Amino acid sequence: MEYKSTELIDKYLRTRKIPSTACSGCGLGINHKVVIQAIDELGLEKDDIIWGTSIGCAGRQTFATWLGDGFAGTHGRVYAIARGLRIALPKEKKIILTVGDGDAFGIGLMHLIHSARSNADFTVIVNDNLGYQSTGGQFGFTTPQGVKTDSSPYGMFEHNLMSEGMDVMHILEGSGATFLARHVCMDGPRAVESVKKAIMNPGFSLVHMPYPCPTNFASRHLGSRKAVDIYRWMQEQAAPLGEEKPDTVWATGVYVDKSGSRPEFSDHVWRTVNKIKRTGTI
Amino acid sequence: MKRFLETGNFAITEGAILAGCRFFCGYPITPATELAEAMSLRLPQVDGVYLQAEDECGAMHLCIGASLGGMKAMTATSGPGYILYADPFGWALGCEMPLVVVNSGRVGPVSGITGAPGQGEFYLTRYPTQGGNFECVTLAPNSAQECMKMVCEAFYLSERLRMPITVLADQLITDGFEDITVPETDDEMAEMGFRTWPRKTCMGPEFYPYTDELDIPPVQMGSGTGGLCSDWTPTVEGYDIEEVTEHHRHAYRLIYKVRNNKDLFNHHYEKKFMDDDPDLVVVSYGTPSRVVNTAVEKARSQGLKVGALRLINIWPFPDEHFSRSTKYLAVELNWDGEMVREVQRATPKDSDVHFLGTCGDLPTIPDLLETFEKLLKNQPLERKGWVLEAW
Repeated sequence: MEYKSTELIDKYLRTRKIPSTACSGCGLGINHKVVIQAIDELGLEKDDIIWGTSIGCAGRQTFATWLGDGFAGTHGRVYAIARGLRIALPKEKKIILTVGDGDAFGIGLMHLIHSARSNADFTVIVNDNLGYQSTGGQFGFTTPQGVKTDSSPYGMFEHNLMSEGMDVMHILEGSGATFLARHVCMDGPRAVESVKKAIMNPGFSLVHMPYPCPTNFASRHLGSRKAVDIYRWMQEQAAPLGEEKPDTVWATGVYVDKSGSRPEFSDHVWRTVNKIKRTGTI
Repeated sequence: MKRFLETGNFAITEGAILAGCRFFCGYPITPATELAEAMSLRLPQVDGVYLQAEDECGAMHLCIGASLGGMKAMTATSGPGYILYADPFGWALGCEMPLVVVNSGRVGPVSGITGAPGQGEFYLTRYPTQGGNFECVTLAPNSAQECMKMVCEAFYLSERLRMPITVLADQLITDGFEDITVPETDDEMAEMGFRTWPRKTCMGPEFYPYTDELDIPPVQMGSGTGGLCSDWTPTVEGYDIEEVTEHHRHAYRLIYKVRNNKDLFNHHYEKKFMDDDPDLVVVSYGTPSRVVNTAVEKARSQGLKVGALRLINIWPFPDEHFSRSTKYLAVELNWDGEMVREVQRATPKDSDVHFLGTCGDLPTIPDLLETFEKLLKNQPLERKGWVLEAW
């Protein structure tokens, strides 16, 4: 199915915030479109989804873009807000959170882990621009080793969640997440399919979606602000799961699909509350 | 009505349930742990949810989420947890989300002594977050029975003012066992002065009107209103904006919806022996006020013209009680002197303001009587080693 952005915008987004104020060549809009396309292919309407965002490039640029209800949390806290909201909302309402890498894997990691632990039904789209770009370009917890940023002028050498064989996906899987996927923003329809599965999973879902930042990341590390250079650099280091090369940084595809294997947080809590009220026991 | 011999924590739980609270999220901390335990027992019995969060910061954010979804929510902690509320408190103030926060004060700083009462968060409950440009309301009960009523009142105020409200208690009030009467019907609640206010939904499209008006319902997610709320300066519709003029309007509302509606809560105080313009007014709140009240009664029986002013609504500070030029003594459970600074600010310039502070323990009646006598005889208060500090 071919999608025209304008049709999706008219159907789902607020024209006051679209186009966004993102920098020229920024890949965030591609990720954003992937999510909107997935929503459309699932046949969901604006009132079916509550859209939450964080701070930083990904949060600020996507806040109040959704035509329906939207909220933004402070740094790293949107997962905790979403858990409380999940308890209050009917289960047919879906929550989608578009956040950044610093928010999810840095300041908010504890809240994220506890969201996975409780299998709270919401979908976290981690739009990863490989560091703190809205503050000018400092390294983050997914910045590849050796990359030069304003705070790693000699190259990124501190070990993080994507170095030495570590992967933040392992942490989240161990914490009980029931759907995990990773796609770079140029994955197109494959990314849309994963996001669709994530949204439909009745539990905690996360899709990690690295995207290019020409303005800060690429200008420091590649010495170029040309979008084509950073897109090529990212694509060269991405490969589908099972087709990785030794220098692959982002293996793309579905990492975990255990949809329905664990009770969903809110459902579990309310069922238990109802049983306690009726019988006095769990 | 039902009567119990129970703790302040029990009373707070019942007060919250009477107010319609159906969501509690907390994190264990002495001396507020028993409150969380009581909530975990009671809430499921009334179709409510008790959750334990990963930390206090997460706990208050979960409460924000529940409130954002239309539930009345509460969290409770002590000083070391209250400081972790700084982040969500700012969000709830800025987004105007009704919530109730209970702080059972213990002596600090930091962890201090878990089992000793303290009043080190007088100013923290006024400035619970960064950034300024907001006003806060704090209620400080001095008994288990009053805890129940003030928690219910905090829910009432939080809905009408559309903001988080702090109930500031201390370890002795929340942990101590007292005779408690719990109303069981609406009539009994009204008879006992309990006020409630239902949760409503802001239908928009003006979610953040530039006004000091009361009774604007909060933004709610999931009700199809297209509601927006964020940590940024909002436009009237809730869009984030980087415009100082918009921020002026937002800040005006956050400050003046409280300052221009003080008659909602400024009747929360207690005066004893204050009708004959006493020569010395003893000002206190919370647990020390109970000792103060006894000491003032004794002083009166000895012919000393002393009066007691107990503040329950401590923020916004009720300046109206301090218009008379006389001697004042602020009695607090801290050595650094917090409330006394407000007393000094609020009183006429020729007033004589003094301070008696204790640190982890309560003032004694002999100490108070000695202090009253000295002040009335214009004798200076002396420092007694570590024990008594002139302010």
